[in-house]
Amino acid sequence: MIRFETVTKTYKGEVVALREASAEIQRGEFVFLVGPSGSGKSTFIRLINREEVPDAGKILVAGKDVSSLSSWKVPYLRRNIGYVFQDYKLLPKKTVTENVAFALEVIGRPRPIIKRQVPAILELVGLSRKADRLPEELSGGEQQRVSIARAFVNRPLILLADEPTGNLDPATSVGIMRLLDRINRSGTTVVMATHDRGIVDTMRRRVIELDRGILVRDESRGVYE
Amino acid sequence: MIFRFWYFIRETFVSLWRNLSLTLAAILTVAISLALVGSSLLIREGADQATAQFQEGVEFIVFMNADALENQNEGIRKVLDTSPAIKEYVYVDKFAAYEEFRELFVDKPELVESVTPEIMPPSYRIVPSDPDADNVMELARQFSEQPGVKEVATATEAIRQIEDFSTRVSQALLLAAIVLVAVSAVLILNTVFTAISGRKTEIEVMKLVGATNWFIRIPFMLEGTIHGLMGAGLAVPALFVVDNKVLAYFQKSEAVPLFRGFAVPDGFVWNTSIWILVIGAAIGMIGSAFAVTRYLDV
Repeated sequence: MIRFETVTKTYKGEVVALREASAEIQRGEFVFLVGPSGSGKSTFIRLINREEVPDAGKILVAGKDVSSLSSWKVPYLRRNIGYVFQDYKLLPKKTVTENVAFALEVIGRPRPIIKRQVPAILELVGLSRKADRLPEELSGGEQQRVSIARAFVNRPLILLADEPTGNLDPATSVGIMRLLDRINRSGTTVVMATHDRGIVDTMRRRVIELDRGILVRDESRGVYE
Repeated sequence: MIFRFWYFIRETFVSLWRNLSLTLAAILTVAISLALVGSSLLIREGADQATAQFQEGVEFIVFMNADALENQNEGIRKVLDTSPAIKEYVYVDKFAAYEEFRELFVDKPELVESVTPEIMPPSYRIVPSDPDADNVMELARQFSEQPGVKEVATATEAIRQIEDFSTRVSQALLLAAIVLVAVSAVLILNTVFTAISGRKTEIEVMKLVGATNWFIRIPFMLEGTIHGLMGAGLAVPALFVVDNKVLAYFQKSEAVPLFRGFAVPDGFVWNTSIWILVIGAAIGMIGSAFAVTRYLDV
């Protein structure tokens, strides 16, 4: 599903974010990206959905070389990739339903489909009863659920999450991880960058560790260390 | 497609409403600049119409009687061909005169109906070697005494002055208009830029869920285009005011009978209005296109 072939990415020609990283992630896998701040986790994620372009090496996503993808095709790549942020990035003036529907509207999905899919996904994330609330009326965990609903409503092949529990307390984080696990079990490949030792150690999924841009560890059913 | 259409309309108007004060400033600037562009065009056209017969150095016109004899015409032509005081001249026969009359009064068919080529006076439009006013008056007097001549019309100093005046006014207006058009394009750019900055998160989310670049750009470009069109929409009534008040003022001029022709054909104001709308939309599109390409790095 995702393949990195000796990928190198430097910023402004000096800061090395990723050095000759190679990894292969299969369809339906759940992968934790761990490592200290500045180790290249975010860059790894941003390379997958073509927010960044590598300086050297090749990145294949769903069989396509995204490093050489022409820019007008990028939006179509991203329609297959859901993205969850640490700070949710919900639109403050839109309700829960509208925030989720927005992701479908802006890729031109017809209204009947939106009307069917949005309630279904809100049901999945457990927010049906808060469909008409504004983000500011929700707790952090609930806001993150909305963000996950928005990322998943289009049923992407891949879900990328950059520190999705970074702003949440441990109890709430468990709920979010259950949700991501459920999404993963439906066949979606999940790549999640995290600092959260507890989560990684409990879940026992594949762990890729980065240190100053170098991929230092890649084990299935790993722990944080 | 229809869903997208409503999406664009909704997003565009929400954005217009959010930046109301900047939006109004942009619209008013466009309106003022386009009103000036239009006025300049109207005044120039009016002056051209009024002085149509006195162009390219023609200082006086000898009108013959409609029934002037051929030998009377011969006599005039002989003087014109031989006199060193005459630089050049153009003969306008009755059919040409009739055509010109029809063009001049194209919007007054009842007036055109009332004449035929037969009753139109043929004329000689004359460029003297020396355009000095006294000299022209003297030549005009001499020609008016020739047999077969109905009357001699001169481009008097007054006409020249008003002609110069209208040229200067229309040029000054045009210059001011060009500056203001540039200002309004920048203002639209700025307004659209503000709209873009106000929606950073929205745009970021749109990019990440796979909205195409054009999908993101279109509401902003529509917004700029609407600024331009609304400004132009306000400028159009101003053109009719200029036509009805300013040009009408010239037409009432008692001093110079020729300036009763200081009018534009009816269709001209409408045509100019269409141009104003097109220019307005273009200003808006160009301004907002700059904004989206510079600040929307999609």
